[in-house]
Amino acid sequence: MRRTYAYFTSILLIFFCSLLSSHAQDTVLIPLKIKVGLEVSGPGIYFSDKNILNAEGYISVDRNEKMAFTLNAGYLDYKYSQYNYKYLTKGSFLRAGVDFNLLKPKKSQGKYWAGIGLRYGLSVYNSEVPSFKKENYWGTVFSSVGTHTNWAHFIEVSPGVRADVLKNLSIGWTVSLRKLIYSGSGNNLKPIYLPGYGNTGKSVSTGISYFIVWNIPFKKINVIIKKEEPEETENEGDTGNSINQGTTTPRTNSRPRSQGIM
Amino acid sequence: MRNTIPVIFVLLLSGLFLTSCTSESCLDETEAFLKISFYKSATSKLSAPDSLTIYGLNMVSAKLYNKSTGVQPASLPLNAATDKCIFIIKINGITDTLELTYSSYPHLISKECGYTFYHDLIPESLKCTTTGLDFKNMGIDSIKISKNNITTINEENIRIFY
Repeated sequence: MRRTYAYFTSILLIFFCSLLSSHAQDTVLIPLKIKVGLEVSGPGIYFSDKNILNAEGYISVDRNEKMAFTLNAGYLDYKYSQYNYKYLTKGSFLRAGVDFNLLKPKKSQGKYWAGIGLRYGLSVYNSEVPSFKKENYWGTVFSSVGTHTNWAHFIEVSPGVRADVLKNLSIGWTVSLRKLIYSGSGNNLKPIYLPGYGNTGKSVSTGISYFIVWNIPFKKINVIIKKEEPEETENEGDTGNSINQGTTTPRTNSRPRSQGIM
Repeated sequence: MRNTIPVIFVLLLSGLFLTSCTSESCLDETEAFLKISFYKSATSKLSAPDSLTIYGLNMVSAKLYNKSTGVQPASLPLNAATDKCIFIIKINGITDTLELTYSSYPHLISKECGYTFYHDLIPESLKCTTTGLDFKNMGIDSIKISKNNITTINEENIRIFY
């Protein structure tokens, strides 16, 4: 009985191995990287407008050729004033999530990224309204709101592009679409601007970030692009037609497999 | 491959031209008015007075409504600097004094509009009309508080039956 079982197991193994080997394989060598990025528009804006300082950086670790884990962190110092009030907020933020590269490995080669990021954001901030003025029928009232420390939570979707411009140095930008889940400060004193989130006035906060990224390759993987056998189309009989029919077109499987190379 | 890389660089450059545009004008209601609806006491149906005059105590020269017709509802601003407002109300020629006590708190309308004050009519006003609301004569038959939270939302706060 044991010998029969071993026999059939061997047959099955041979069968599956032959199935695999019957497909032609192509591979692309993709370097996996640790990326350290710096957002450059924030300091740039600060030079022209001293009321808003946004400093942000991120670290990202490739899991494979398609996906990377990311962690953004930063600091915001924001001041706003208009004829009837002043507003100040300061705080830090973290955004954690994943980036998905939508380019095929053969095209991205580990140098180019066009994809989408998904993040969960956490912001801790102090906000204050040093003065505001309200005029109505009874006259003018001057008031203020003291400093409050709060935590806010939000989610982010950030499509973008990035490309290597020098060895291990890339640049890119992402458009951010953020949805506030919880502002932490109640309905009456909602924050006007949140670290890591931006303007809270609309249901979805939009923004754009420009990054300079230093790449540190730590591993190379062989991504196998499996090719299927060309499909043969049957000729529709002998019709005497001189036009070539049943031409074959090689088709590439869209799901590559990867092998690690240290 | 040859086509993809230039596209990525074009996308990279196009990012430089992405900017944000935001409107800076205030289009929202910025005053939290006390909204008063008028009802006929005989029928309990909504009915605007034929003539309505309202002004704050000692503000006779600044009338909110002056022999106005068809007012439904009346919107009265409260004074956030104090916790009490007294209005003189003249309905169809009969004068009453309406006294309201409340608490005020700041509320952000929007970045463009800034802050305003919301108000809560005090619980005593809700429970007993003789403490928060005092009728000086019989022009007003009764008053019912519908919603004690006074905001910029267009909601009825008080019903006056006359």
